[in-house]
Amino acid sequence: MSPDNLSALRLSLQVAVAATALNALVGIPVAYLLARRRFWGRGVVDLLVTLPLVLPPTVVGYYLIVLLGRRGVLGAPLYELSGFTVAFTWYAAVIAATVMALPLLVRTVRAAIESVDRDLERAAYTLGRSELRTALEVTLPLARNGILAGLVLAFARALGEFGATLMLAGNIPGRTATVPLSIYTAVQTGESGEALGLVAALTVLSCLVLVVANRLGARAA
Amino acid sequence: MTSRLEVSVRKVLPGFTLDVAWSTGDGVAVLFGPSGSGKTLTLQCLAGLVRPDAGRIVVNDEVLFDAGAGIDLPPQRRRVGYVFQGYALFPHLSVRQNVGFGLRERPRAERRRRVDEVLERLSIAGHADRYPRDLSGGQRQRVALGRALAIDPALLLLDEPLSALDLPLRQALRDELRTILVGWGTAAVLVTHDLTEAYRLGDRIVVYEEGRVIQAAPRSELLWQPSSRSVARIMGLRNVLQGVTLKATSDRIQFRWRGQTLEAVNSPTHSYLPAADSPLAFFIRPEYVRLIRKDRDQVDSAHHMNLMSGTIVREVDFGATWILYFRLDEPGAPAQGDYDLEVEVPRLVYEILEIDRDRHWRFSLHRGSIHVLPSA
Repeated sequence: MSPDNLSALRLSLQVAVAATALNALVGIPVAYLLARRRFWGRGVVDLLVTLPLVLPPTVVGYYLIVLLGRRGVLGAPLYELSGFTVAFTWYAAVIAATVMALPLLVRTVRAAIESVDRDLERAAYTLGRSELRTALEVTLPLARNGILAGLVLAFARALGEFGATLMLAGNIPGRTATVPLSIYTAVQTGESGEALGLVAALTVLSCLVLVVANRLGARAA
Repeated sequence: MTSRLEVSVRKVLPGFTLDVAWSTGDGVAVLFGPSGSGKTLTLQCLAGLVRPDAGRIVVNDEVLFDAGAGIDLPPQRRRVGYVFQGYALFPHLSVRQNVGFGLRERPRAERRRRVDEVLERLSIAGHADRYPRDLSGGQRQRVALGRALAIDPALLLLDEPLSALDLPLRQALRDELRTILVGWGTAAVLVTHDLTEAYRLGDRIVVYEEGRVIQAAPRSELLWQPSSRSVARIMGLRNVLQGVTLKATSDRIQFRWRGQTLEAVNSPTHSYLPAADSPLAFFIRPEYVRLIRKDRDQVDSAHHMNLMSGTIVREVDFGATWILYFRLDEPGAPAQGDYDLEVEVPRLVYEILEIDRDRHWRFSLHRGSIHVLPSA
């Protein structure tokens, strides 16, 4: 495998791991709230985290540019303050992958949390546990397999992210050109040998992920 | 220790309104009624898991909830032990961890001592390191009780504690549960839709129907004097009758009813020995009254006990069975309005005996079919 391919592979793994970590950090609490709480704006939150599942990735990428681009809603003040912009950096690839993977994680984790018997949580409350402690000691441990399955799916989705990444992070070799983007470049420039190596690598990784996810899913059921 | 529980709760849900008020002292109060009558919702209000719209809940001298005064202690601070339907044991924790779950605030050594004590008292010490899935139904019940009792609750709530078990085990564990509840002496509220369970486990029975309380009384009083037709209906009892004791021994009770001398089997587990001439309540299931065929005239005293005769005053067709309302030949006011006994016969029997044409019958009550209700 060429040095360029290796760096693309390393970058992809880096992005996918970071995106999965962010998914855990944001997605699990969101999934818990959607599963267990009735709050104002719940429907909107539900819609927002599910939308990337059905929208074309380029549309999500476009929204991310509107939000985080140098002249974006959040991007402009950030640039004013720090001179830093997210767009066309490694971080942009992470954010794009995170947003695209979030629906998979939230939906899987939410279903897992909803399948935990509420009486177990109620029992914990009567035994003195706060809601947070109950979630940490009872709900999440019992939803563990669903959470792991969700994380595996999120990782797979992040690994394969193309459209939104291209929009927000561009296709800069060594910086934002992940494996899917590099495959695209290689095919466009007629380097089919290069493409084949990356395709094989991604296929093997995806198969691995599916096997793990199925195992977890079977145990969760 | 005397305890006192005062409950008045109003909670409006879509399509259902709970509006109840009752109180109880020491011992076990049973909330009895059909499914969907608001019993579990009441427990959840007591535990602080559901917030009532209005009302007041006082345990001993502590106000747990008072809508008027704006008091609503969270479940974490109510010191209410809750045994859930199906037990809700933490499947990922061992028996020891389950029982110790509510003791986290206490120092390690004390926590350990308390858990050991509870496990010992409930005879589950041998299973301390096992997980709920490896336990039998009876052991699970004890772990659930232990977990709730370990925190020294001011009040213990039990939601259908026996419904997760199959029938033979249920009866054995009912008596075991009674022993545990009496032994720990914690004031308890227990929910059931099973009359025998209510009667066996409760000192006081609160009868629920469609979100309201239709009677609250000590158990004996409830059986003696159901306050309304709906109480009797909910209790599913028919032919609840009252006689006068003649003679009671540990295995037989003789009594007078409507001019007849009847003999019943005394309870095999608890013998009741009412004094002669004291009143005695009993009931007979309508399907257990035996009509005597006229074409086989030999009346066999070994099989035909407590012989009587009477006339059908009314009948109702229930498809598979007929209900016949008999008035005894004995003079005097009938025991239940215009009739003395309700008798249920299968349709086939009704047709073979041609009951539609023949309205006067002899019948017998097997002494094992007469259920004497203790007045204690």
